[in-house]
Amino acid sequence: VSDTDHQPSRTRVPMPIAALSDPHMGDAAKNPDRTEKIIGLILFVSIVFFAVAGAAYVQNWNPWTFGGALGAGLFALGFGLTAWGKYLMPQGPFVEERHTLASTSEERDTMSAALVERSAVVVKRRKMLGGLFAAGATVFGIVAAFPLIRSLGPLPGTSLETTGWRKGMVLVDSTGRPVRRDTLVVGGIMTVYPQDTVDPQNGFITDQGQAVDQTVLIRVSDQPFTTEPGRESWTPDGYVAYSKLCTHLGCPVGLYEQELELLVCPCHQSMFNVRNGAVPQFGPAPRPLPQMHLGYNDDGYLIAMAPYNQPVGPGFWERNS
Amino acid sequence: VRAPIKRTVGSRFLLPVGLLSVAALASLAMFFPGALAGASGHSDAAQVSITPGEVTTHACGTVNVKGVTNSVTNAGNPFLSSSKTCLNGHLISYGNTAITYANPPQAFVSAGRLLFAQTCSSCHGSEANGVNPEGQAAIGPNLQGVGAATVDFWVSTGRMPATDVQAVEAERKPSRLTPVQALELAAWVNSLDPAVPAVPNPHLAGADQSAGQDLFSLNCAACHTIEGSGDALAFGTNAPSLQNRSVTAQQVVEAIRTGPANMPRFSGNLTDRQVTDIVSYVTGRLQHPTNPGGAALGGVGPVAEGFVALLIGVGGLALICFWIGERS
Repeated sequence: VSDTDHQPSRTRVPMPIAALSDPHMGDAAKNPDRTEKIIGLILFVSIVFFAVAGAAYVQNWNPWTFGGALGAGLFALGFGLTAWGKYLMPQGPFVEERHTLASTSEERDTMSAALVERSAVVVKRRKMLGGLFAAGATVFGIVAAFPLIRSLGPLPGTSLETTGWRKGMVLVDSTGRPVRRDTLVVGGIMTVYPQDTVDPQNGFITDQGQAVDQTVLIRVSDQPFTTEPGRESWTPDGYVAYSKLCTHLGCPVGLYEQELELLVCPCHQSMFNVRNGAVPQFGPAPRPLPQMHLGYNDDGYLIAMAPYNQPVGPGFWERNS
Repeated sequence: VRAPIKRTVGSRFLLPVGLLSVAALASLAMFFPGALAGASGHSDAAQVSITPGEVTTHACGTVNVKGVTNSVTNAGNPFLSSSKTCLNGHLISYGNTAITYANPPQAFVSAGRLLFAQTCSSCHGSEANGVNPEGQAAIGPNLQGVGAATVDFWVSTGRMPATDVQAVEAERKPSRLTPVQALELAAWVNSLDPAVPAVPNPHLAGADQSAGQDLFSLNCAACHTIEGSGDALAFGTNAPSLQNRSVTAQQVVEAIRTGPANMPRFSGNLTDRQVTDIVSYVTGRLQHPTNPGGAALGGVGPVAEGFVALLIGVGGLALICFWIGERS
């Protein structure tokens, strides 16, 4: 295409549309009247469905009716529109001849001459703008680093190694009811918390009571038994208590199988034998569940005779054992 | 070079029409989940309640009625509830407005002895003490002193008599014995070594389903899952599903109070009122899930739901896009 072919751009040029007899025109397009009627029917159906949806909205019918009618109407509308475009519109590929887009050589020479003349003044390095941009990016980068910096401190200190349990604290259930000698029969289990973390009216006072201090209390037997040497007095009347936090990843170990005398963690199927000090029998848990030293106070309520003697829950970097 | 008109038209409409049919069928299935799940309920679990009036026909002379006020735990315990005993100390019934517990009538004992000899003694021993005629440990455990509710639960839910004594767990199945026969067995076994709990008769009129849901999530959901669909446990055992089963309120109370097999036994940490709250939630909501969102997909949570949403939703959209963009 040379410059001599240049034509005024407003000239109307008939676009060579593919004839209806063109091989790539479909069967539907060969009988456009019938296709139009079908598509018209589909669009009419969409109108009906929209009307039903409107009526359902106004009359406050079943929400399923409203939603179903609205959905069906939208689907029919979209289906009709798609079918219209697919079967009644000519389909390509089409080639449209057009005039050349290049300017005349005189115009191009003038343009390049102007650019050469003005570039010495207009196009140059702008240090102030560059500096401001760099400053903006730097400030953004610093602010974006705040969460990262905050996550680096402060150090947890001893908070990971202690719980809310103190010597002499009464065991209570989630409603604040204290646990007595006859609360559980053999084979029973309940979750207990330190007395001060549950309020009978308002439930849990602290998140820690619910998350960190939760302890499973199980009555394994009628008689005291020894889970490990040195813990002979820890299981009065066959009551035994372990931290409910799995030593693997901290899930609540709440599945108790009373015949197998096993505590099972629901997350990764770690199993702890409640008779031998909750030593893991299966699964990824690396350590036994910490056991609580139980006893009675003068009123006959079950109490913790001492805080847990080791950190509860999963391991962490600074853990000693 | 054209294909015959009929074939061309057919293949063009095949994809969208097929998609529409699958979507329509799937949505139908979501509206009627029960139709696909099949009839899984049993009609065998009729509840037999023993009314206190029936119990007082015990031939034990004068009945001693003890009332308890200010009971603390009130957990199916005759010593913490108002109770009726014979003067010889034989416990007849106890309980409160939430649950009354009563032993089966004395008249059931003789029939129970016969039934036990026929259906239970080969495994549990002729005296229900877990000792076989050779004086060695029998296949089944000692049943003396387990309480009438324990026997009634195992028999009325069809778990006993067991079909496979080697199985890890006795599965629930249609009961071979009638509810009355279960009570007869319970009466005889309990007469050998009377114990609690007796057969419970829950009164759900004042039960609080909302409180029951809280208690269920705290005490039961760990094993039965929050939807009550059951879950696998250790060494081949499992917590059974609570859905779509015609378990009676009485059987749910028995399970909670007696702790069958590996299920823990809930006593003092749940009052009778709290137990009826849980029972009301289990029998009123969990047993017959309504699934207002459509198909429950097993009730196992976001993994299955996300999978279906991706596969059907995104997959269907992709197919529709292919169809729209298809060149003839």
